[in-house]
Amino acid sequence: MGGYTGKVLEIDLSTGKIGTKSIKEEDRKRFIGGSGLAAKIFFDSFDPEVDPLSSENPLILMTGPVVGTQFPGTSRFAVCGKSPLTGIWGEGTCGGNFGPELKFAGMDGILFRGISPTPVYLAIEDDKVDLRDASDLWGMDNYVLTDLLKERHGKEKRPKILSIGQAGENLVKFAAICNDKGDFIGRTGMGALMGSKRLKAIVVRGTKKVETSHPEEHATLRKLLIKKSRDAMPGQSLRSMGTDAIMDLGMMTGDVPIKNWMIGEDLELSANLGGPALTEKYLTGNRACSFCPIGCKRIVKVDDGPFKTEEGAGPEYQTCCTFGTLIKNYALAGVIKANEWCNRYGMDTISCGATIAFAMEAFEKGLITKKDTDGIDLTWGNMEGAMELLHKIAKKEGIGAVLSEGTREAARRLGKGAEEFGVEVKGLEVPMHDPRGFHGAGLAYMTSIRGACHLMHLAFSVEQGITTYAEAGFQENYIGQTSEGKAEMVKLCEDLGLPCNSLVICEFAAWTYSANELAEIVRVTTGFDFALKDLLSCGERTWLLKRGLGNMMGVRAKDDRLPKRILTPLNEGAAAGSVPNVEKLLREYYEIRGLDGDGRPKKEVLIKAGLDELAKKLHG
Amino acid sequence: MALTFPSVEWMEEYRKQINASEGYKKAGATWTAGPVALVISAKPEMGINEDFGMWLDLHQGVCREAKKVSLEEAQKAPFCIISDYARWKQVIKKELEPVKGMMQGKLKLKGDLPTIVRYVKASQELVECTTRIETKFLDE
Repeated sequence: MGGYTGKVLEIDLSTGKIGTKSIKEEDRKRFIGGSGLAAKIFFDSFDPEVDPLSSENPLILMTGPVVGTQFPGTSRFAVCGKSPLTGIWGEGTCGGNFGPELKFAGMDGILFRGISPTPVYLAIEDDKVDLRDASDLWGMDNYVLTDLLKERHGKEKRPKILSIGQAGENLVKFAAICNDKGDFIGRTGMGALMGSKRLKAIVVRGTKKVETSHPEEHATLRKLLIKKSRDAMPGQSLRSMGTDAIMDLGMMTGDVPIKNWMIGEDLELSANLGGPALTEKYLTGNRACSFCPIGCKRIVKVDDGPFKTEEGAGPEYQTCCTFGTLIKNYALAGVIKANEWCNRYGMDTISCGATIAFAMEAFEKGLITKKDTDGIDLTWGNMEGAMELLHKIAKKEGIGAVLSEGTREAARRLGKGAEEFGVEVKGLEVPMHDPRGFHGAGLAYMTSIRGACHLMHLAFSVEQGITTYAEAGFQENYIGQTSEGKAEMVKLCEDLGLPCNSLVICEFAAWTYSANELAEIVRVTTGFDFALKDLLSCGERTWLLKRGLGNMMGVRAKDDRLPKRILTPLNEGAAAGSVPNVEKLLREYYEIRGLDGDGRPKKEVLIKAGLDELAKKLHG
Repeated sequence: MALTFPSVEWMEEYRKQINASEGYKKAGATWTAGPVALVISAKPEMGINEDFGMWLDLHQGVCREAKKVSLEEAQKAPFCIISDYARWKQVIKKELEPVKGMMQGKLKLKGDLPTIVRYVKASQELVECTTRIETKFLDE
């Protein structure tokens, strides 16, 4: 079977025992790889009620069959487990270079169990795998650590590093995992899970090749897709301005949240923080993940001033919002500096920035004062104050310890109505696309498996018209500010998006492919007899399995909701007066998806999808 | 009186509408990046026998000149957007947002992307101006 190495490392950190685990061919066909296959592994072998920071919660790293096969956008991998931030199924994906290197070392993934008694890191050089002492590395930030490990393992061999910074060690609930100082598994606190296991880093070097089932067809398709992803306008736009290219347009369409989601338009903010500004003022180069002709990653440097940085990974659109528009900071240099610190500590820039925005509103409302913040002024737009708070969060000092739990828990602890302006779904801070401008995004946030998510489905790109995937059954042109037809759109987006997430393929590259080409990628790589309908069935099955896992972790219908702030109409901007019709969206979606009144997939739906065991666990 | 799209008369009226637009004057006030050419690809069966290029000399919130040009000349403009009649009709009828159209490859853009993105508000105002022209479409 092409695409897979057939080997998943299984490491018990409590005992230091290293072994391998095989994945059934049937499971590969049904869940492909990435977070889909990781969910199946969790479902088969772990207790959904486990405490996320206990030794019984696994940390699962999974690549997919296309990773390392040199299709554009196939450098990604997933990291999964029960989330310390949300308490439900958690997952994140990451580009960079670690995923392909793991495949070149002969592994499809790594399953970590247990907790190491002392800090360790895992070193992999092809078939040679060993756990090493990391006592001397504990306390280092991701940048220092990465440089040191590369030096230690031979720079000339170009080892790839996955690591956590101090935030992961300190169990900051939205801690991230870093790949080579530039790419991150940001969402759902997988860095805290890694930190709880006292696993500081993974160093990998591989020299093997990933075989495919139909090499000639694979080569032909690869050539076509390289051209498409390079030449299509989304590819060009991402290459020239990075993901922040969308901010100026987003400001025109009501997509950009401002001042903790209270304001609908501020053109000065987008002019100062958008892609053109980043490109003109601070860009020193761009960078691509392995095998990617797009190269959306920014390399930036702030030469002087209070936010001076070294040359390094620049902020994405999400970060330009959370540390820019969301806290009313007009200084792009401040965003770049905050991004650098989040990278070094290893923190999700979405959750961290959003939690700081929440704190600023709490400060404005008098729920927290300078006495609580150790003198830090959290007035809107005060970037120095935001930066000081960022450090406190990473170190869990003072008010930072409360905020390090994430917005939901911080709001609960603050009380006095703070929940009214905590903007999260199922405990995950809402990413920077406003459902008031795009109602489908609102439904996608409500029904996403891991909480408010803008990535695991393709709703953002489809609803905003970046892609059409007409052959999958989408309309050519969706209107953002209507809830009509969005339930059907979101379900289809999920059914198409989840297999992409399992492959694991970059959404930006996938934007430039047709839906049939996505299915063809699977066929020529794995040899599975796969067409578009099979891809969509796989997506549906994967969604149902993950949702079932969520149900077993406590998710119910009441959790499928949008925060009050997002259901409050804006007074200005393109989305003024518009709010998603939550009742209609959920009613129609539940019907189409086959969920019961409790938010669980119906028994017959699960059985039809071949998930009999899950049906039994959920319905008896 | 309704003006046929595309035609020299329609283009001249477009220039007038741009210069009468307070919205464009404000959004395009700092535009110094040069002319923009819009090209409607030839479609003989609809009476568009050759590519119809509209050269709009935009500068600091005004349109200094509008002239009909060939495809070859249009492509010499710093910014050139090319599409077929049906797509332009969608744009004028506000059924297709131009930046979205470019992303989907329905409108082909040649020119500096960051500049276009920075002036997305101005591009919206330019579309808004087309809707103020009483337009007779060739297929209606």
